[in-house]
Amino acid sequence: MMKKITDERLQLKNLKNIRVLFLIQTVGIIAILGYDLVTKGMEGMTANPLWLVFIITGVASAYLSMGISIDHESSEKSPKKGLIISLFVSVIVAIGFGILITLTGDLATGTLIGGIVFVCCLAPSLYMYYLRMKRQN
Amino acid sequence: MKNNVKLARVQVDLTQQELAEKVGITRQTVSLIEKGKYNPSLKLCLAICDVVNQSLDELFWVDKEDRAK
Repeated sequence: MMKKITDERLQLKNLKNIRVLFLIQTVGIIAILGYDLVTKGMEGMTANPLWLVFIITGVASAYLSMGISIDHESSEKSPKKGLIISLFVSVIVAIGFGILITLTGDLATGTLIGGIVFVCCLAPSLYMYYLRMKRQN
Repeated sequence: MKNNVKLARVQVDLTQQELAEKVGITRQTVSLIEKGKYNPSLKLCLAICDVVNQSLDELFWVDKEDRAK
């Protein structure tokens, strides 16, 4: 029967092994997606479920890194100021996208895409704000 | 980093295997700690101290000049 590993050195080694495995999988996924991109084009690549896995991993990785960079940055920054700046930038980027899409398509699509871009920028800003507030306490 | 784990273990008449079992690690890890090739966590250090009835100071204290080794 498998015994639970209590040895901290082996647990650490296990984690390091998982890192190597992750690297192998990532290289594999990129290789498969690259192959799809060459043989079937962009549409073919994004139709592959692996694309979704790749994107979700990327998003998860970005959110996890936020937790690290918050601890790394100097603590003098005010969380509120950071949030206001991020919101301002989000609004500008969203309006920019909205205008560009409206110019090439119609207003409804422009508004929709702009809204989506805004929400996509808003979520990480709020998460950063939450992490900074949590650190201050 | 240098330490006195081996000395302390011999003093209480334990083998590497016995010490390992008492603190819930493997014999190889005990060996690496004694050779100074693995840095144990504070938690593990304290567990070892408990088993050999010595203080953290006695087991793991290293003078500043020797720390770089």
